[in-house]
Amino acid sequence: MAQLSLRPPRHQADPRAVAWWTTRSALAAVPVALGAVAAYWFLTGRAAWLGALVAVFALFCVFLAIAGPRASYRVSRWEVTDEAVYTRHGWLTHTWKVAPMSRIQTVDTGRGPVQRLFGLATVTVTTASAAGHIKIEALDHELAASLAERLTALTQAAPGDAT
Amino acid sequence: MTWRALSTRGLAASAVQSLWLVAPAVVTLTRLLSGRDWTWPQITAACAGAAAVICAGVLAYDLARLRTTRWRLTAERLELRSGLAERRHRSIPRDRVRSVDIIASPVRRAFGLAVVKVGTGQHGGDGDELTLDPLLRQEAEALRRTLLEPGAEAAEERDAAIARLDWAWIRFAPLTVWSFVGGAVAVGALYKLVGALGFDLLAWQTMAGAWHWLTDRPWVAVPLVVAANVVFGVVGAVAVFAEAWSGYRLEREPGRLRLRRGLLTTRSLTLEERRLRGVEVSEPLLLRLGGAARVKAVATGLRKAGDKETEDVAALTPPMPREPAWEVAARIMGGAATPVLLPHPKAARGRRLRGAVLDTLLLAALVGGLDLLFDRVPWQAWALPVVVLPVALAFAWDGYRGLGHALSRTHLVTRSGSAVRSTVALDRAGIVGWTVRGSWFQRRLGLITLTATTAAGTGHYDVVDVGREAGLELAAHAVPGLIDPFLRRH
Repeated sequence: MAQLSLRPPRHQADPRAVAWWTTRSALAAVPVALGAVAAYWFLTGRAAWLGALVAVFALFCVFLAIAGPRASYRVSRWEVTDEAVYTRHGWLTHTWKVAPMSRIQTVDTGRGPVQRLFGLATVTVTTASAAGHIKIEALDHELAASLAERLTALTQAAPGDAT
Repeated sequence: MTWRALSTRGLAASAVQSLWLVAPAVVTLTRLLSGRDWTWPQITAACAGAAAVICAGVLAYDLARLRTTRWRLTAERLELRSGLAERRHRSIPRDRVRSVDIIASPVRRAFGLAVVKVGTGQHGGDGDELTLDPLLRQEAEALRRTLLEPGAEAAEERDAAIARLDWAWIRFAPLTVWSFVGGAVAVGALYKLVGALGFDLLAWQTMAGAWHWLTDRPWVAVPLVVAANVVFGVVGAVAVFAEAWSGYRLEREPGRLRLRRGLLTTRSLTLEERRLRGVEVSEPLLLRLGGAARVKAVATGLRKAGDKETEDVAALTPPMPREPAWEVAARIMGGAATPVLLPHPKAARGRRLRGAVLDTLLLAALVGGLDLLFDRVPWQAWALPVVVLPVALAFAWDGYRGLGHALSRTHLVTRSGSAVRSTVALDRAGIVGWTVRGSWFQRRLGLITLTATTAAGTGHYDVVDVGREAGLELAAHAVPGLIDPFLRRH
């Protein structure tokens, strides 16, 4: 029997995504790590074993902030054909999503403040399902705009009420 | 078309319903005043005055509401104007109407009234439901017929009922968690309520005496209290079943399903079949052990249960024996026989068993950690992981046995769950996308979780821990052409 698997989507996220994601996770991880160290320094009796534990925790936070985005970048891919939107994302849990063009209800582009610094944008596609939205993260913002335009045109061409 | 008013008989119903507010007020007032040396005639007069004020307030509000609310049915739309301070005008195109529910509480029934809720089946938003509260019963029925049967008033020849109540099913009513905790919850709520009204039960001589008698004899008291709790819970569950499902009848009218039920509050729910994306047969553990199941609708835009409604709006049947439940499900789906479910790979079982062992180890580590930190954990605490392990393993084993999937000509069928086993048959045409998930552990075992997303029900239905090839094959066959371009055969 032939082996069957999902092929990776055609396009990779923009390389600037790594910098953006690193910044984003650093914004979350660094305060947590600093908070833990500060709590250890000021609130406890500075026991050595607890110090080691806190150091390991802080290093782990920093490691996650650096390694996570790089691992995500290797997985994150997307593809838009005339019939469907297809994406893959996730680091530990790989998630592939497929939505047919005929069932797409809205197409949005969004740019957060940090994302704007890196010139990136995210395209979000929703279907009638509460669980069915698909995000194409970290696209060059001009590419995102033209992609959203193309998606809108394609979904309008598809018949039906998308439920 | 002229604008029409709601039924003015609604005022009488509101007056009766205002007694719900009057009763606690009177009790509180009586208690408050009798503590201040008022004489009984004075107290009676004060209570009557308070009752009159509350009643008048409710009536005034309701009168204003009824005076300002108007509705009309034109050839294209159903419109409602309402609002005292802020006027609202809502309208629903008639061809968008997907459900008309008629609900009559005991008081409204006594006055020949009913509340009509008209739904469009759209998700969220403000304009998705329109409530006419109240209409005359006949008006409500007439509105239901005109809204759902444009042009055809005389579609009386109905298909036979899909299901009707068999009172023997009431034996399944106590098979819920509420039977075990319901008594305690009710007593707690009652105690709170009485306390809120200003009485302290334990201050009463007899109650205090009973309390002391109980606490002095734990070996008698504990079984007694547990037994009383269960008796209370069982009686309560049976009563709730009787109220909710008395007169139950599920029938197919042309193009839709109609559900009627209720002893005191009667409900008539109509569901258009084009909103139906499948059915779910749900078997919570206790029901499953009793050989019973219940059938639920997987439909788009089902009205969310309101604050006061504790029941599941998607429920199509009461708890009933498993085989008839499956027959009902098959008839709702249009007579398609349910296919035999294929089991999932053994790796899924190993994964569950390992998970159970790991959880127990974590629990043991937690007990150990507490022991180390506080030095005060009684040795009995170690019994916890010992007891938990076999239970967790049993659930893991049962969870694996519950996994299954199949594809029929029209439906994708998936089953999972142990505490609540649920089998969902999802219309293949209602699938609006796929999500495939593989965690690190799943990928190592060659498993995936395949999720069909849909506009109906919970929005997504999962085929959990299916073999990668079988799962992708399933997705490819269920919706031809959608996932195919992204598959690689090698």
